[in-house]
Amino acid sequence: MASESIVVFAQFQSAVDEGFWHRFSSLKLNKLGIDDSPIPITGFYAPCSHPQVSNHLTLLAESLPSESNEQSSTAATSGGNRNRCPVPGILYNTNTIESFHALDKKSLLKAEAKKIWDDIHTGKAVEDSAVLSRFLLISFADLKKWTFHYWFAFPALVLDPPATLVDLRRASQYFSLEEAKSVSAACNEWRNSSLTADVPFFLVCVDPNSLATVKHIKDWETCQSDGNKLLFGFYDPCHLPNNPGWPLRNFLALISVRWNLKSVRFLCYRENRGFADLGLSLVGEALITVPQGWRDHQCLPNAVGWEQNKGRQVSRCISLAKSMDPTRLAISAADLNLKLMRWRALPSLNLNALSSMKCLLLGAGTLGCQVARMLMAWGVRKITLVDNGRVAMSNPLRQSLYTLDDCLNGGEYKATAAVKSLGRIFPAVDAEGVVMAIPMPGHPVPSQEEDNVLEDCRRLHDLVDSHDAVFLLTDTRESRWLPTLLCANTNKITITAALGFDSFLVMRHGAGPFSSNDERQRLGCYFCSDVVAPIDSTANRTLDQQCTVTRPGLAPIASALAVELLVGILHHPQGIFADGELANSSNSGSCEQPLGVLPHQIRGSLSQFSQMTLVGQSSNSCTACSSTVVSEYQERGMEFIIQAINHPTYLEDLTGLTELMKSASSFQLDWDNDDDDDDCIEI
Amino acid sequence: MSTKEESRGTLSSTDFGVAASAFILNWNTICSSFPQWTWVLSHHQVEGYLSLENILLSSTQEEHGELSFPGPGKHSHQEDPIDVDDATLVHINPCKVHYYDLHIIYCNSYRVPVLYFRAYDNDGEPLECDEIEKDLPAYSKKALSDSKWTFITQEEHPYLNRPWYKLHPCGTSEWMKLLFHADDDALAKTGVAIELYLVAWLSVVGLVVGLRIPFEMMKQL
Repeated sequence: MASESIVVFAQFQSAVDEGFWHRFSSLKLNKLGIDDSPIPITGFYAPCSHPQVSNHLTLLAESLPSESNEQSSTAATSGGNRNRCPVPGILYNTNTIESFHALDKKSLLKAEAKKIWDDIHTGKAVEDSAVLSRFLLISFADLKKWTFHYWFAFPALVLDPPATLVDLRRASQYFSLEEAKSVSAACNEWRNSSLTADVPFFLVCVDPNSLATVKHIKDWETCQSDGNKLLFGFYDPCHLPNNPGWPLRNFLALISVRWNLKSVRFLCYRENRGFADLGLSLVGEALITVPQGWRDHQCLPNAVGWEQNKGRQVSRCISLAKSMDPTRLAISAADLNLKLMRWRALPSLNLNALSSMKCLLLGAGTLGCQVARMLMAWGVRKITLVDNGRVAMSNPLRQSLYTLDDCLNGGEYKATAAVKSLGRIFPAVDAEGVVMAIPMPGHPVPSQEEDNVLEDCRRLHDLVDSHDAVFLLTDTRESRWLPTLLCANTNKITITAALGFDSFLVMRHGAGPFSSNDERQRLGCYFCSDVVAPIDSTANRTLDQQCTVTRPGLAPIASALAVELLVGILHHPQGIFADGELANSSNSGSCEQPLGVLPHQIRGSLSQFSQMTLVGQSSNSCTACSSTVVSEYQERGMEFIIQAINHPTYLEDLTGLTELMKSASSFQLDWDNDDDDDDCIEI
Repeated sequence: MSTKEESRGTLSSTDFGVAASAFILNWNTICSSFPQWTWVLSHHQVEGYLSLENILLSSTQEEHGELSFPGPGKHSHQEDPIDVDDATLVHINPCKVHYYDLHIIYCNSYRVPVLYFRAYDNDGEPLECDEIEKDLPAYSKKALSDSKWTFITQEEHPYLNRPWYKLHPCGTSEWMKLLFHADDDALAKTGVAIELYLVAWLSVVGLVVGLRIPFEMMKQL
């Protein structure tokens, strides 16, 4: 007949909630391991509730069996409600992507179709009709990349020849007004009763008086009376006006096999806002030609049902790295913390500058460990630590990156142990350790060592060059000389921290001597202080004595101040060229930065619980940062360094410091007039 | 609710439970055609939270096409042709659909309710913050960018242990204080304050995520 066409069913659509993959990953990691036997799962669906969007068969966290050790070999159908009709399914998860693609989809589909076929013939499908919508899921969970490849199949027994469609229209157009009212009421009752709300297949009987009742399909016999209209109803997830949903396929198969009906009137039940919607619901009539052999249980019909993905025959893939990868979660939590600071307290915080800054830490001891941690807390990700020592038994107490394990077997190299430790605290840190000693002036090296020392010097030069800020965190005065010179040469931000027994110094070095064209006075470095403020040296001399006997509270305080000082420099419009400010002063000229004042030097005393800020200008006689010294380095390079290392007084002679010290008693302390009046004595 | 709490804009966890029950009743009665809020008990069965899930949003955004296929080499595998019969219709939803879940959870440390939410597409793939912001109506985007009290952060859901977006609660008590003190006498006398806390709270918070409170509910404030 020309007007007849086959029934075209709209395929089921799947939706997997993130929670399902989370729970599955956990199950795999904690319980299943490499076991890839099939897992019974439960899917959930509900009748369509939106005129433009079909409902899906959904998997949630609850779809999986729990992680406890109960054996659940049967389909664990967890409790449903009116919005979640449970449907049994099975999950085949493979351990590699290759085996995922190699799964025999044809036979897997056939196996599940057989279960439905068996349930129809044994009558189980009449008792528990949800089994008609049994589904299959294959997957490969990549728990390293947190991506999940998957593919659903909704097995449907194929009628051959296919069912033909005699009629299909809106339910509101099929029923009379009276009937429609009664049908809606009966359906709503079915949907509201906790006993039947999640039963997706049912019968609708309408008697000649337009009274409708909804019954369980096992009560089919009781609906057999003339004058009654009998419709086979089912929860239809599909919203389309011209196509019934997928569950009807196996429903027709059931009806044909069990009740041998050739003509089936069906109701595609759909809702709107929780109530039966007969305008959206469809009523149709299908004609079935029972295929040869269908009465025979042994003869399994063909099945179709692999879900198409946007019209293509491919599996789907979802990436949940953002919400599952612990490293990513740690990163976003850290970023959140800093963003909160910016939102709530400091809108001018430059988080990009912090995260892109490369910091070089010379020394991985009490100061180095704390500075590294503080830098990470501020969002600095690139940290290089230089230290040639090994972790000693006493270290873990005061050097916050080390534990007892690092001390065993002679002790790990500090630089290496520190990097590992930083990675354990924050996996996204880009930390590097360099095991190297810093060459020191006035400590002559035997000639056979000279090449190594030169190598170290060059290495240090390169390290300073490739970083943005350098922290001098060693425990001797001499070890700070070469780094200071190198930093002055390249005009790098340099922060020095030095500890005494109960006092500390934290300061930022001024700009290098050739860093700008204007003549203004630059701030001093660590060595300038020796010259410019000799009377301050009582506090000074007890620093850097290479003694490990310092009050434990000092290092954390000094380290914290050192890092805060760096952050201050970063946010100051003049950066390394910023003038030194004093605390508690009314700096009429300078406008206060959001982070507060930016001092040059901070000297603190634990015995007084006090702290003071100082400003010191650079000295032209400085053995580390004066133009004399830096230009010697620029001209003669390593030769100059070796000379400084090997000859105890070379530097002092070069800068005229020796002369200066001789006339120290008659030296006028005049800040503004600090020209190089002295003769340079050439050697 | 103690006047002390009230004056600070906060409420106790018991009061939250009371407010939540009243809110559900209120909402489900007045807005029966809207999706309904439910009370979900945590697995400890002691604490609970309000939940409104599967809110469907037809997005005007373009189909992202290959969103479901991250990573290289995705096309290199040739799938065997799978049987499809003539009786199968494959339909693709014409409009891109986003689903939203909203939870209102009590925060012990700030002593205020907090709105947690997440969004995902058809396949269950979670949406990013910027994609969510595209879904928001204009007034919400404005509220987010202008107000210093509202910003979205991503943190672990206290019960589901997965990252959800939330409106950070640090400013909540500040503006709840203002709301409540706007009409001191009325509230102090009627003692209906607790029941209305959530309506008041949601009337502000909802703005930010594009959830409008029906006028009938607002009238009570």
